[in-house]
Amino acid sequence: MNKPKYKHNLEPDYYRPLFEVPIDSKRKIINLLTLLYGSEVSRRIYPELERIMKVYYAHKTEELIKWEEVFDQSHMFSQEDAILITYGDIIRKNSEKPLKVLSEFCRNYFSNSFNTIHILPFFPYSSDRGFSIKDFEEVDPNIGTWADIEDINYDFKLMFDGVFNHISSKSKWFQEFLNGNPDFKRFFIVLSTKEMVSEDHLKLIVRPRTSPLFTEFQTIEGPKLVWTTFSPDQVDLNFHNPNVLLKMIDIFLTYVRRGADIVRLDAVTYLWEELGTDCVHLKQTHAIIKLFRAILDTVAPYVAIITETNVPHEQNIQYFGNGYDEAHMVYNFALPPLVYHAFVNNNTHYLTKWAQIIHKVSDQATYFNFLDSHDGIGLLPVKGILPDSEIEKLLYKTIEKGGFISYRTDSDGKYSPYELNITWYSAINGNYEDYDDSTKVKRYVASRAIALFFIGIPGIYIHGLLGSENDAEAVLKEKHTRSINRKIIDGFILKEKLDDKSSITSRIVSELNELINIRKTEELFHPNCLQIIHNLNEELFAFERRDEKNNDFVFCVVNVTEKRSEFTIPEGLMKKEYVVFKNLVSGEIFNYKKNDPVHIDPYGVMILKSKSGA
Amino acid sequence: MSFEVKYMLDGTVAVIDIPERLDASCSSELKDKISEVVNNSVYKIIINLAKTNFIDSSGLGALVSKISVCKANGGDIKLVSPGKRVLEILQITHLDKVLSYYHDLDEAVNSFATD
Repeated sequence: MNKPKYKHNLEPDYYRPLFEVPIDSKRKIINLLTLLYGSEVSRRIYPELERIMKVYYAHKTEELIKWEEVFDQSHMFSQEDAILITYGDIIRKNSEKPLKVLSEFCRNYFSNSFNTIHILPFFPYSSDRGFSIKDFEEVDPNIGTWADIEDINYDFKLMFDGVFNHISSKSKWFQEFLNGNPDFKRFFIVLSTKEMVSEDHLKLIVRPRTSPLFTEFQTIEGPKLVWTTFSPDQVDLNFHNPNVLLKMIDIFLTYVRRGADIVRLDAVTYLWEELGTDCVHLKQTHAIIKLFRAILDTVAPYVAIITETNVPHEQNIQYFGNGYDEAHMVYNFALPPLVYHAFVNNNTHYLTKWAQIIHKVSDQATYFNFLDSHDGIGLLPVKGILPDSEIEKLLYKTIEKGGFISYRTDSDGKYSPYELNITWYSAINGNYEDYDDSTKVKRYVASRAIALFFIGIPGIYIHGLLGSENDAEAVLKEKHTRSINRKIIDGFILKEKLDDKSSITSRIVSELNELINIRKTEELFHPNCLQIIHNLNEELFAFERRDEKNNDFVFCVVNVTEKRSEFTIPEGLMKKEYVVFKNLVSGEIFNYKKNDPVHIDPYGVMILKSKSGA
Repeated sequence: MSFEVKYMLDGTVAVIDIPERLDASCSSELKDKISEVVNNSVYKIIINLAKTNFIDSSGLGALVSKISVCKANGGDIKLVSPGKRVLEILQITHLDKVLSYYHDLDEAVNSFATD
């Protein structure tokens, strides 16, 4: 039974019986609310939460309800999933609404590769390229309408951003706070004077930016200091107030109703603030994500949560919970800097070492393997994985390739590098003027192949898909280092490039499309198949994907160097003296004798599958 | 325009004077000149910006085009007398946290001597 195309009606249907929350779900939800607010408040607010779930449920189509009866959560993801990350307005064509233009390009050029589109925040906003939202429930009229989103959803699964940590200072909610409206008085974290927070407490708080933690606003009652983790325009919401949580749950389910198959919880690390702590990864933050998960499991079990937590790897994977009760996916934040490091140094030592600890999480949870996004390449995730000296070298290499570095403020007040701002194409090929275009494309595609076949679900940012170079001029113009990777694309020029089979853009799109299609048609790339890393030599990154039920496997090898290399297929994969392998990338079939060398081209990608059973 | 290189401290430090404008019209040439210096195994480079009042993104890229090679070989790229506009660009791009800058040439040269 296929997932229905129309999952929700615009109007609720209250003629149908109302949704009854199963007792186990109710218990789980109340326990999480109790952890956040204590039992008395929990009991008081639960009925409102149940109402919100009932309202959501009343919007579901009969087809969706029937389909969910047979839906198995262990099939939430598959090898067919590949996510294109894009802004809703990144491709422009004259006065056409950008969401319509995006829809046209996705259908005409990308639908063979991607089945899911992550449309970065498409709501009205005041700054941070969409991440300072003025109204969570409206589509920015400059880019389109909900009908345009629905139209894209007809052919693609959708990923929406849940930017729930903060709201724009220009939003109605915050303006009402400034106006002294009692309904919004506790929506934000407010101090009357700086002295209310001790220096010791301030030092403890982990900062992702160099901007001041508190911003002064003039309210009807005089000046107030308001908690602003990311920028003076992005005001943190106060989840200590249960009304804020209930409002965000309502918005979360509105996104599901509007077509979200995946909800990305942006900057979720900072959701709960508690003076006297570092204010990151607090148990209450995890409880809120678990609460969202419990609500989805109850009313929309096909919808996934992905947490965006640009933090050291060990802390990042805590967001999986027990594999069944928190995020369905976490961004595999350590992967981009490690793949970058491997290609810059022609050496896979650190990538291979780290990859050995990455295993299947559960039947319902997996990694989101990306190399680039609208943000930069995070450095915190490789703290302790790459030595500081190697991170420092990456900084200078990045600058040399025309990229920049973003900083954050440490507890001692010093600046430390937070992320590298550079397009993936410039990261891989920048400053290599000696390479011809073919070598550049090969090197680039090889780097991307790692993320496409690694355990999890792959995602590619639009500028990564198109092989865009740095837009340093935009950095100077917009005074923001992240602008380097956010260039607006002229739709007419893009069409010309995509139609010109000799252009670098077209060659990259075409080669990535081929790799994605290998992935889509090979069940061994299902995220629930196992992954075993092989340390062949430091020029190669090699891993096996295996079906634990029938022991079928594919053996993937990527050469990160400009030299021809060789390897032998590990003995453990050779049960016989001779095995016939097919290289799924080249189509070549060869009879392999145990311990014979296999040659791999510079920047070669090989995916070997035994034809006869090894 | 051609960039002149002066060598100081027994030829271990190269000083390159930058004109009023450092933009696409001359950034490739500067890049080549810095490559030439580095290929001659001189990794301590001073960029004199005393006359410069405009840098675009290509010029900025040229300034740092060999920074990792210099750093890896015990050298550095240091700036002298960046004007207000240049400083603003360095701050926007956060390169002010990577590149050291000095008020005058002597100060910059001495900083290499004491490194």
